[in-house]
Amino acid sequence: MAKTYDYLFKLLLIGDSGVGKTCLLFRFSEDAFNTTFISTIGIDFKIRTIELDGKKIKLQIWDTAGQERFRTITTAYYRGAMGIMLVYDITNEKSFDNIKNWIRNIEEHASSDVERMILGNKCDMNDKRQVSKERGEKLAIDYGIKFLETSAKSSANVEEAFFTLARDIMTKLNRKMNDSNSAGAGGPVKITENRSKKTSFFRCSLL
Amino acid sequence: MAENSESLGTVPEHERILQEIESTDTACVGPTLRSVYDDQPNAHKKFMEKLDACIRNHDKEIEKMCNFHHQGFVDAITELLKVRTDAEKLKVQVTDTNRRFQDAGKEVIVHTEDIIRCRIQQRNITTVVEKLQLCLPVLEMYSKLKEQMSAKRYYSALKTMEQLENVYFPWVSQYRFCQLMIENLPKLREDIKEISMSDLKDFLESIRKHSDKIGETAMKQAQHQKTFSVSLQKQNKMKFGKNMYINRDRIPEERNETVLKHSLEEEDENEEEILTVQDLVDFSPVYRCLHIYSVLGDEETFENYYRKQRKKQARLVLQPQSNMHETVDGYRRYFTQIVGFFVVEDHILHVTQGLVTRAYTDELWNMALSKIIAVLRAHSSYCTDPDLVLELKNLTVIFADTLQGYGFPVNRLFDLLFEIRDQYNETLLKKWAGVFRDIFEEDNYSPIPVVNEEEYKIVISKFPFQDPDLEKQSFPKKFPMSQSVPHIYIQVKEFIYASLKFSESLHRSSTEIDDMLRKSTNLLLTRTLSSCLLNLIRKPHIGLTELVQIIINTTHLEQACKYLEDFITNITNISQETVHTTRLYGLSTFKDARHAAEGEIYTKLNQKIDEFVQLADYDWTMSEPDGRASGYLMDLINFLRSIFQVFTHLPGKVAQTACMSACQHLSTSLMQMLLDSELKQISMGAVQQFNLDVIQCELFASSEPVPGFQGDTLQLAFIDLRQLLDLFMVWDWSTYLADYGQPASKYLRVNPNTALTLLEKMKDTSKKNNIFAQFRKNDRDKQKLIETVVKQLRSLVNGMSQHM
Repeated sequence: MAKTYDYLFKLLLIGDSGVGKTCLLFRFSEDAFNTTFISTIGIDFKIRTIELDGKKIKLQIWDTAGQERFRTITTAYYRGAMGIMLVYDITNEKSFDNIKNWIRNIEEHASSDVERMILGNKCDMNDKRQVSKERGEKLAIDYGIKFLETSAKSSANVEEAFFTLARDIMTKLNRKMNDSNSAGAGGPVKITENRSKKTSFFRCSLL
Repeated sequence: MAENSESLGTVPEHERILQEIESTDTACVGPTLRSVYDDQPNAHKKFMEKLDACIRNHDKEIEKMCNFHHQGFVDAITELLKVRTDAEKLKVQVTDTNRRFQDAGKEVIVHTEDIIRCRIQQRNITTVVEKLQLCLPVLEMYSKLKEQMSAKRYYSALKTMEQLENVYFPWVSQYRFCQLMIENLPKLREDIKEISMSDLKDFLESIRKHSDKIGETAMKQAQHQKTFSVSLQKQNKMKFGKNMYINRDRIPEERNETVLKHSLEEEDENEEEILTVQDLVDFSPVYRCLHIYSVLGDEETFENYYRKQRKKQARLVLQPQSNMHETVDGYRRYFTQIVGFFVVEDHILHVTQGLVTRAYTDELWNMALSKIIAVLRAHSSYCTDPDLVLELKNLTVIFADTLQGYGFPVNRLFDLLFEIRDQYNETLLKKWAGVFRDIFEEDNYSPIPVVNEEEYKIVISKFPFQDPDLEKQSFPKKFPMSQSVPHIYIQVKEFIYASLKFSESLHRSSTEIDDMLRKSTNLLLTRTLSSCLLNLIRKPHIGLTELVQIIINTTHLEQACKYLEDFITNITNISQETVHTTRLYGLSTFKDARHAAEGEIYTKLNQKIDEFVQLADYDWTMSEPDGRASGYLMDLINFLRSIFQVFTHLPGKVAQTACMSACQHLSTSLMQMLLDSELKQISMGAVQQFNLDVIQCELFASSEPVPGFQGDTLQLAFIDLRQLLDLFMVWDWSTYLADYGQPASKYLRVNPNTALTLLEKMKDTSKKNNIFAQFRKNDRDKQKLIETVVKQLRSLVNGMSQHM
C-alpha cells in the first residue's frame, strides 16, 4: 500500500480525569464539542492529517484515561510518543498541582527527547477560574516548556496548540537530519551510506 | 123603472149596457162603450135615444121628490133667517171675547214661547248627552290605550285595541274622530310590533354577549354534579325543574333591562350557588314579544325571525378564533359560548309553545355538532403540547356531559375524543422522544457509583434492580447500569400516567383502559425509545465506552419490563386473572437495540483497525526484513489488547464476537494489502517482513485476549494468510500442485487465483533482476521455475473457470 503521508507524529494527551483531554482531541479532530462528560476508559486515539512546510503530517493523537485504575495501560503508550500534552483545568487547582506528578511520570516512562507542552483548559470559564494564567506560565518556564490556555468549548487556541507541538517536533526532526548530513562527506559510496542512515533513522523515529 | 122600460121599448142589449155604466167604475167605461160601437152600425143613435129617455125619467123622479119636501125646505129657510140674526149677535160676542182673550193671552203667549224654547234646548241637550254617552267610553278607552303605550304595556294596549274595534267603534263609527282613531290603530300595532322586535333584538344581543357566562355556569354545574351523590343529583333535578316552571299567566307587565341579575362579585361570593339560566338572563322580552305577535296573528313571522336570527348566532358561536388552539382558554371560551347558546334554546323550548320545537333544536344541534367536531379535529391537530391536548379532553368531556344533561346527543363527541386520544398519544410520544434524547445526552455512560446505604436505596427505589451479590458488597460499590436506566424507567412510568390521564372520564371499562395503556406503552417502547436508542447508537462520534454501557443498560431495561406490566395492571385496577389481549413488546426493543450496539462496536473496532492499516509503510522491494514486526502493527495489537483488557464488563459473547470480528477484519485487510492492484512488485524480503507481522497477529490470537474461546478458534482468522505465506516462503509449489483439491492438502485454503496474483508480482521482480543475473545459474533456474509454476497455476485457474 502506498503511503499517503510524509511523516507520522504520535502525540499523547495526559492529565487528571475531567480536565478536558478528550474534548480537546474531539475539537481538534472533528471540530465539535460535547457538553456531557464521558470518562475515557483505557486508551483511544484519533488521526488527523495536517500540512506543515509543504509536508503532509499524519498526527496520531492518543487520548488516555486520567483515572488511576487505567494507569498501567496508559503508561505503556508513553514510550512511543513524540510529543506529550499535559492538560490541567483552570477551574480545578488540584489538576494544576498534579501537573508536577504527570511530568515526573513522563520523565520515568517517555523518551528523553520527547516534546512537551502544558495546556490550561476551560479558559472560557473565567468566572470559576482558580489558576491564574501567570501561574501556568511560570510553571512552564520552570520546566522550560511551552504553555497555552485553551478552551475546547470555544475552540480557543486548540488548533494553535496542536500545530505548535507538531511544528516543534518537525523542527527537532529536521535538526537531527541536518546533523546527520553534515557528518557525511565525500564520494558516492558515502552518499549511499548517508541515505541508508537516513532511512534507518527515519524508521527508528517512527518506532 | 120597470114601467119606464116597458114604455120605451129598448133593446135588451142596450139595457144591459146602461146597467153596466151605472154600476161600474169610471175606469172601466171604455170597454163598455166600445161594445156599443162594435154592435150594429146605427146602434149608438138608438143608444143615445135610450140614454135621453133614462135622463128624462130620472129628472121626473127628482121633481117629485122636490115637491114632496118643498114645505120642509121653506120652514128650514125661515128658521135659518132667524138664526142669521142670532148668528150676527153671536159673531159680535165671539169677536169681543176673542179680543179680550187675545189681550189677556199675550203674556201667556210670551211665556209659552219661552217654554217652547226651553223644551227645544232640553231635547237638544238630551240628544247631545245621549250621543256623548256613546262617545265617552270610546275616548276613555283610546286615552287608556295611549297611556298603556306610554307605559310600554303593549299586551294590555293590544287588548284595549281589540275592545275598541269589537265593542266601541260600532257605536260611533259615523263620527269623524272615530274614523281617525280607526285609521290610527294599524299604525299603533305596527309600532308595537317594531318595539317588541327591537326588544327581542336587544335580548338576542344580550344572550349572545352573555353566552359565555351562561355556558360557564352550566358547565360548572355539570362538573359539580359529578361530585354529588345520586340523591343529591335527584334533588338538584327537582330544584332545576321547579326553576324551569313558568306561569304564563303571570308574565310581568314591566319590562326590565336585559342584564345579568347577578354581578360578578356576587358570583365570586356564591361560587357554590346553583344557578339556572333564568337567574342569569331576563327572558321576559321573548315571552312578551311572542304573545304580542300571537295576539297580532303574526306568530309565524316572529318564529321565523327568531329562528333565523338564532341560526345566525349559532354560526357565529361555532366560528372559532383562528388561534384558538394555542391556549386552553381559547377552547374554554369556544365551549362556553356553545353551551350558553344551547342552554338558552333548551330553556325556550320548554317554556314556550312552539317558538322552538324539538325537531328544530335537534336540527340545530346536529349542524352544530358537525361543525364542532370539524373545528376540534382541525385545531387539535395543531396542538403539540400534550398538556394542552389533555386540557382539551377534560373540557370536551365537561362540554359533552353538560349538553347531554340538557338532552342533546353527544356520542359523536366521544368518538372524536378517541381520535384526539390517538393524537394525544402521538404528542406524548414526541414529547417523550425529547425526554429520552435528553436522558441519553446527559448520561455519562459509566456505572452508577454509590458510597453508602442511603444512596444505594435511592437507586433501588427508582429502578427495580435485584442482585444479592451486589447487595452484599461493601461500600463504595457500583451498579452495573448507568444513570440513564433508572431515568428511562421512571419516564416510562410517567408516560403511562400521562397516557392514562386522557382516558379518565371517557366512560371506558378498566379492561379497555388497560389494553389502551399497553398499546401506548408498546408504541413508546417499540417506536420512540427504539428510535432514540438506534439514533444514539448510530451517532457518528459515539465511542466504545458508550456502546458497551448501552449493551449493559438494555439488558437491565429488558429485565425490568415485567415490572412495567405489573405497574400497568395495578394502575388500572383490573384483576390479576384477566387475560391481557395486549402484552408489552418492549423486550424486542431492547434486544434490537443491543444487537445494533453490538454491531456498532464491531464497526467501530474495524474502523480503528482501518486507521492503523492506513499508517502501514511497507517497503515492498526491501531485500531483507527488519527483524521486527512493523511499528503500526504493534501499535494496533497493543490497542486491541488494551480495549479488551479495559472493557471487562462487556458481556462474554459480545466480547468474543468483537474479538473475532476484529481479527477477521485485520486478516482481510492484510490480505488486501498483498493483492492490491496498485502494488506491482513484491520482494521476498518484503514477504518475510510481512510474515513477521502476521506472526504477531497469531500471537495475539493465541494469547486469549478475551476469555472463553475454545482451542484455536481465534487463530482460524489468520489461517488463510498463514498458509499463503508458508507456501511462498518454503517455496513448496510441488506439494501444492500435487495435492491441489485434496482434503488433506497442507495448503487447502490457498486460492490458486490468489497464489497466481502474488507470484506474478514476484516474477516482475525477477525480471528486473534478470539483467544483472544473466550469468548466475541459480537465478536462471529460479526464473524458469517461476515461469513453470505460473503456467500451471494459470491452468488451474482456467480449470476452475470451466467448472464454474
